[in-house]
Amino acid sequence: MTDSLFVEVENLHFSRGEKVIFDGVAMQIPRGRITAIMGPSGTGKTTLLKLIGGQLVPDAGRVLIAGQDVHALSRKALFTLRRRMGMLFQSGALFSDLSVFENVAFPLRVHTDLPQTMIRDLVLMKLQAVGLRGARELMPAELSGGMARRVALARAIALDPDLVLYDEPFVGQDPISKGVLVQLIKKLNEALGLTSIVVSHDIQETLSIADYVYVIADGQVMAHGTPENLDIDDDPRVTQFVHGEPDGPVPFHYQAPDYFRDILNLEGRP
Amino acid sequence: MIGRVMRLGQRGCDVLEALGRAGLFLVQSSVGIPSREGCYLWLRQMHFVGVLSLAIVLVSGLFIGMVLALQGYTILVDFGAEQALGQMVALSLLRELSPVVAALLFAGRAGSALTAEIGLMKATEQLTSMEMIGVDPLRRVVAPRLWAGFVALPMLTVGFSVVGIYGGYLVGVEWLGVFEGSYWSSMQASVDFIADVGNGMVKSLVFALVVTWIAVFQGYDLVPTSEGISRATTRTVVYSSLAVLGLDFVLTALMFGGFS
Amino acid sequence: MKRSKTMELGVGLFMLAGILGLLILGLRVSGLTFTAADDSFRLEANFANIGGLKPRARVTMSGVTVGRVSAIELDTEWYDARVLLELDAELEDRLPRDTTAAILTSGLLGEQYVGLTVGGDPEMLGDGDTIRDTQSALVLEELIQQFVSNMVND
Repeated sequence: MTDSLFVEVENLHFSRGEKVIFDGVAMQIPRGRITAIMGPSGTGKTTLLKLIGGQLVPDAGRVLIAGQDVHALSRKALFTLRRRMGMLFQSGALFSDLSVFENVAFPLRVHTDLPQTMIRDLVLMKLQAVGLRGARELMPAELSGGMARRVALARAIALDPDLVLYDEPFVGQDPISKGVLVQLIKKLNEALGLTSIVVSHDIQETLSIADYVYVIADGQVMAHGTPENLDIDDDPRVTQFVHGEPDGPVPFHYQAPDYFRDILNLEGRP
Repeated sequence: MIGRVMRLGQRGCDVLEALGRAGLFLVQSSVGIPSREGCYLWLRQMHFVGVLSLAIVLVSGLFIGMVLALQGYTILVDFGAEQALGQMVALSLLRELSPVVAALLFAGRAGSALTAEIGLMKATEQLTSMEMIGVDPLRRVVAPRLWAGFVALPMLTVGFSVVGIYGGYLVGVEWLGVFEGSYWSSMQASVDFIADVGNGMVKSLVFALVVTWIAVFQGYDLVPTSEGISRATTRTVVYSSLAVLGLDFVLTALMFGGFS
Repeated sequence: MKRSKTMELGVGLFMLAGILGLLILGLRVSGLTFTAADDSFRLEANFANIGGLKPRARVTMSGVTVGRVSAIELDTEWYDARVLLELDAELEDRLPRDTTAAILTSGLLGEQYVGLTVGGDPEMLGDGDTIRDTQSALVLEELIQQFVSNMVND
């Protein structure tokens, strides 16, 4: 890779109570590319995004964005840095008391002193980009899941950020919406020169747009590489995940006593 | 045995920690210069917690004033002192019933709604996304609600008192036939603006702060699931009712108990 | 942000109603009046016993309220009660020097108040003067005691 790095994650440790979620994760995310972070459910992918966004503080290790250590910044500097980041939440997280238009205008109104007409132009541009210019009067409750996510995407790019974090953008979408989102993420990345981090477990969609892929499991990076060479990696956990095999190193069965003994109730459990 | 003591200690530490969080939360969200936008957000919350609570508070005030007059009359008439009805109605309302009952109604009507609203915003990641956009939800979401509650409840308490006193007038004078002049003059002779109205307002301000604080904190601090929201809403009503009644005793002892 | 005029109006009315309510509580319920402090006329009166007289009690003349009791304190020189009266300014220099003050009770169990009765002295009372001729409150126990001793003496 010849590109300069935009986000660097160094030796990240994080635990929640007793449970260790990250045990020394390291990643290099290049500028202007789409980097995917994949892994089975419950491996802390969303937690990783929150660590990158500075909402959670790691037990050890650093996250550098454009050379700045996110967790060493003051609250004010952190909020300034976040203006350069957009984040697309799993649920969309639109403000339910504001209309679609106002939702997209929100970051502009808060962070800029632009006149009303210019805000209108910018908002319509962003809504046009996600194809929902006609829905600007609607309230978030009136939108379908896919539309809500597209509005959230328009809001995430409202301030023309350098970095966009996507948290499970494809989850719970019908194939049409998935296709639309895949196209949008790719197009926006190319058109705006964004650096994108996509967290997902939808293999097909993610691999089709990612330039580079990290697979995490058990609190560590299990494999990384371009989508083409990821498949041939010989780690069984990665193979199981990429091929979607039901049983493997990640077991199909939740930890349980022997089936035969349990059926006959030899251990006297209810 | 040792296990039980340890659990008790753990529980004590948890309570202290929650109190600390709540205190920090109050300071972080209430300190700061309000912006133009902030004023408008405050106005919107005033509408929500103040104007929309007006009906229930005023109707309750009317009935409580009427009941007070009815009960007071039957007792006072035995001593031939029904002229003192106005005094009795006004003092019991101003010193005690208005601040307390209005605060309890406010906790049920507005407090629980504040908790549920903020809790739902947390559950749908609206607060997190606000933070990611670079806006502090404490300032944008919590502060206007806190200040609106702090202003609205004393106003509602005043309304409660006024309506209650006129309710007492309706029953005492119009129905039971207490002489109108003595209803008002016994009231005016015994009610002191600073000592009675003023202390009632101080009580109401304290209750307003405590109830709103509990409501927004419970909303902000809850576990973002549907069960968590319902539990937090219940907690808001229970904690604020207990806090209001407990604080009422302390404040009454300080104001009217004769320690000075 | 979309602004709703009706909502702004509603909140405005709400605040106005609150302030109006406070005014009602002040004027109608606690009987405050807008008289400036230096617009009043002060007198002092010493009573042997004030009974249940309270500060802010009414001061009347022929049944008409002309002022209020502003303070009650113990006079350590004579060991009696010094009552400060605040009267309407128009009465200044118009009450004769031998005006009497009595502590009266309205009704059998009502509140106590101060009643003034004018005398015939040509000299008038000025601001800060003291009423010499006073009549203490009637205390029920003393009355009964008197009544009983009179009975015994008869």
